[in-house]
Amino acid sequence: MMNTSILIAEDLWKSYAKTDAVCGLTFEISRGEFFGLLGPNGAGKTTTIGLLSGLIEPTRGHVVIDGVDLFSRPMEAKARLGLVPQNFALYPTLSARDNLVFFGRIYGLKGKRLRERIATVLEMVELTDRADQTVATFSNGMKRRLNIAVGLLHEPDILILDEPTVGVDPQSRNAILESIHALNQSGVTVLYTTHYIEEAQRLCHRVAVMDQGKIIALDSPTRLVEYFGKGMIRVEFNAGIDDMFLDQIRLLGLVRVVDDQRRRIHIETDRTDQASKKLMEMMETREGLLKTLDISEPNLETVFIHLTGKNLRD
Amino acid sequence: MIRQIIAITLKELKVLWLDREALALLFAMPMFFILVMSFALEGVFEAGSKGHPIEILVVHQDGGRLAEQAIADLKRMEGLILIETYEGIPLTSDKAEQLIGRGVYPLALLFPEGYTEQILKNANDPRKGKAIVYLISDPAMNLQLLATVKGAVQGAIERRVLLARIPQRLKEMFGTLGGTEGQLDNMLEDPNISERGRSGVDFIHTFPKGFNAGRRPTATEQNVPAYTIFGVFFIVLTLASSFLQEKKDGTFQRILAAPLSKTALLIGKLLPYYLVNLIQIAMMFCIGVVVFGMKLGYLPALIIVSLALAAAANGLGLLVAALGKTEPQVNGLSVLLAITLSALGGMMVPTFIMPNLMKTLSLFTPHAWALAGYHDIIIRGLGMKEVLTEMAVLLGFASFFFVVALWRFRFSD
Repeated sequence: MMNTSILIAEDLWKSYAKTDAVCGLTFEISRGEFFGLLGPNGAGKTTTIGLLSGLIEPTRGHVVIDGVDLFSRPMEAKARLGLVPQNFALYPTLSARDNLVFFGRIYGLKGKRLRERIATVLEMVELTDRADQTVATFSNGMKRRLNIAVGLLHEPDILILDEPTVGVDPQSRNAILESIHALNQSGVTVLYTTHYIEEAQRLCHRVAVMDQGKIIALDSPTRLVEYFGKGMIRVEFNAGIDDMFLDQIRLLGLVRVVDDQRRRIHIETDRTDQASKKLMEMMETREGLLKTLDISEPNLETVFIHLTGKNLRD
Repeated sequence: MIRQIIAITLKELKVLWLDREALALLFAMPMFFILVMSFALEGVFEAGSKGHPIEILVVHQDGGRLAEQAIADLKRMEGLILIETYEGIPLTSDKAEQLIGRGVYPLALLFPEGYTEQILKNANDPRKGKAIVYLISDPAMNLQLLATVKGAVQGAIERRVLLARIPQRLKEMFGTLGGTEGQLDNMLEDPNISERGRSGVDFIHTFPKGFNAGRRPTATEQNVPAYTIFGVFFIVLTLASSFLQEKKDGTFQRILAAPLSKTALLIGKLLPYYLVNLIQIAMMFCIGVVVFGMKLGYLPALIIVSLALAAAANGLGLLVAALGKTEPQVNGLSVLLAITLSALGGMMVPTFIMPNLMKTLSLFTPHAWALAGYHDIIIRGLGMKEVLTEMAVLLGFASFFFVVALWRFRFSD
């Protein structure tokens, strides 16, 4: 099943007055795949989601969902998509059930089928006992779960989730990730955007790394780390460092991130152990300067910094 | 598509129903205005004062000096502007009636042929044959205002008649006893002279031809339509806020990710507000009928004007939703438009007492046309054919608002 593409994006562009928000995206998502779109804020993820779900007209390019062109036959293509937007996108004064009834009807569900689907998705996101409470009384985690339930109501072939865990507590976040994982296991294709590296690493079969509207790398997390992964030493100082000290640090590895006050730097290196040892020796003559030191072995985040020169959460 | 529109409409009605405070305000506000304004502010208009003069058409068929003198006196009166020609041509009774019938002017004074002659001929005994002055008024004119103007005009005319008659009578009675003309004139200038009751002039008050002259407008018949229109346009705030909220919450995005057209979304979204407007209008007129005993006139005509009015209000709501980017913008713009257009459209002060510029500007508000339509039906007793213009103009406003709104509207921020 994994060999059939359910979503094809072909040379997708979205240009606004002076900027290109998305520049020539081309990729395919296989049926049953868990596909991650990874990038910092402003990388073009939300525009990409808008283009892939038919909310934004592309300047040029095509999107094909399950063999149907999204922009020439939008009604057919959209029926195959489920969107879970970053906003809660719910009616707070209505109950969870009323929200589901409304969105179900919008997708053409009615009668017994609608009632059954509502019961199923409520159970799936563990909100059955809160179904008749107004959404305004829900915690962020519950709202996120209901947000996902709405996206699943019409049993889409592909579920697009835009940052579905933003602003929830760790426990709810874990529950959400588990339910999305279970969904994918049941055969639903998932397109997932996040800036949480660990989520992408844990869930995604393949990850597209986005920056400035472009995909700069696309592969499985393991292979991305294998190809591009470098160790990372993050150092924070109590005061800004001078040019001479910065030059000495540059000898340890590639300095990737330096903030304006020179109080924070990221050093990319293949040998984190050696580099950190030398750095500690250099710090001995500068008592009180070191504030924190954090060493990361190669992972998706270091891949991202290596590829873009930016921190994912900036 | 129909099922989706119904789903959006039902959802919207439910959301509206749950926000009862907002809904109550929408109904209570015009109701409050109708009750308070009708009872308390009746006759408070400053019309007829120096700052807000009343324009009166004068049809001078007499040619005699008494009509000339009366017109000259009236011209000197504060708060009145006398108009004897229209587009350079002296007014005829037909032209005056036509202008009043169209609502261009509120009042006309007609001195018929032989007016002066009749007064002088029967100076000694007015009972032999009274001269007649016709007062033609717009049936929609405020009663209190009409009474005030009528009193002032009547007083001025009668005074002039007395001045003309009394010397003749006195001379006849005391001519042989001596005395000077000057003394007589001084005596006659005394305003306390109590001969008015027998002045020998009959004032006949009529309405323009074709208008229901059997019934006078009441304060309610003028205020209920005006404040209903005022209230109807407050839907702009509720509607625009709801659109803004959907954009902010991202629910529009979610709906549009479904296999649903933007047209269906807009129709489904607007329909409940349109229904609310119609219920609002029905309720306000019910209050007029039940509480004030108001007569509604020809119901089908009333309904089509109401349908067109609600369309214009909804169109304006969508326009505000398209133009307002933030909540304060939407709130400010809605209230500004609701109040300004109402005032300009003659909901608070009748347009005919406004300066000419304002009168012209009022034609650019849907309010003025809706009020004209309602007045035609309720007060002037006109039917469907006569209000087609008002309905067409209201639909024109609605179309204009919708076209501009759709051009400017964005479904996301």
